[in-house]
Amino acid sequence: MGLLDYLTTHAMDEDYQFVSERRQTREEPEPRSRARIGVVGALVMALFAALVVTAAVQTSRNSVSNERQRRELVGQVDQARAQVDGDRSRLVSLTREVRRLQTQQLNNDTTAQGTLDTLRLLGLKAGTVPVRGPGVRVVADDAPGADSARNEVLDSDLQKLVNGLWEAGAEAISINGQRLTNLSTIRLAGGAITVNARSLRRPYVISAIGNKDTLPARFAETSSGQAWLDLQREVGLRLQISPVSSLRIPAAEVSLRYANQKKPGGVS
Amino acid sequence: MIAIIGLVVGVVLGLFLTPDVPLSLEPYLPIAVVAALDAVFGAFRAFLDGIFDDKVFVISFISNVLIAAMIVFLGDKLGVGAQLSTGVVVVLGIRIFSNVAAIRRHIFHA
Repeated sequence: MGLLDYLTTHAMDEDYQFVSERRQTREEPEPRSRARIGVVGALVMALFAALVVTAAVQTSRNSVSNERQRRELVGQVDQARAQVDGDRSRLVSLTREVRRLQTQQLNNDTTAQGTLDTLRLLGLKAGTVPVRGPGVRVVADDAPGADSARNEVLDSDLQKLVNGLWEAGAEAISINGQRLTNLSTIRLAGGAITVNARSLRRPYVISAIGNKDTLPARFAETSSGQAWLDLQREVGLRLQISPVSSLRIPAAEVSLRYANQKKPGGVS
Repeated sequence: MIAIIGLVVGVVLGLFLTPDVPLSLEPYLPIAVVAALDAVFGAFRAFLDGIFDDKVFVISFISNVLIAAMIVFLGDKLGVGAQLSTGVVVVLGIRIFSNVAAIRRHIFHA
């Protein structure tokens, strides 16, 4: 007999049958009319009901507390995010204020004019000052219908692209609005390419300031340009370079905590 | 009648006392409920068949609950708790369904 058949035929506990048969054979004087539920049965029913209610209460209580914890965490994340946003915008405004005060102070002093110019030039080079100028806009994207890492833009592809642009004479570069500085990284983290510790989403728009007429041609001549040509041909990545007469590249937030400028005396 | 009174008393007790289940017993509560459900449906069917017996009901109820909880406990210790509780639920579920089918036949004569 199959297990399922056995289960369905023996669904009721056999003891009921057994006890009733035994009672019949013994001809016990108990009334045969109808089996009655006694106090013990009622007690068991009460136990059953209490069990069911307890289980239900417990489950609903657990789900409520889980939900509350989840909501609390979401609230904390939101709060932290708002805090970070606030701090960041405060940082930007303070930096702007510092620059304004610097300009104001140094403008009054004719001898300091040279210092100010040097400062501005250094800022441009270091990427802490926004820049404007002609250049090219490069749009790099995954192959159409990309489904694996093979035909997606990887961090190494972006690194090659940026290297090629520097080599071709770019003077300032940003990727999706993230200015590249000497502290910038382009790396894969958690499935997304991050630049300056910010996750980027495709398509990757790279703005490069430089000679807009020679940049594309010189880029194509570099080994990175060749590599990208191969990528386009072999796996179908998309790359589009277009000259732009005026590009704006934002400043990067660069904060140094350990690197101190050494004073001429050698004491820091 | 007395069974329904017992049921109501149990519900009221459960709702008002809301006994705190110890954390170590919590995983066995649902399986115990399913086992108890099976015992209750079996008893109801026996009642309709006219062969209900208090003593058998008590014993089947308690042994059902204990054995179901024990199987899951054993499974937990062996690392197959989830699979074993699935097995217990399947077996008890089939029993409940066929008992309910028998009860249905009794009540509706169909």
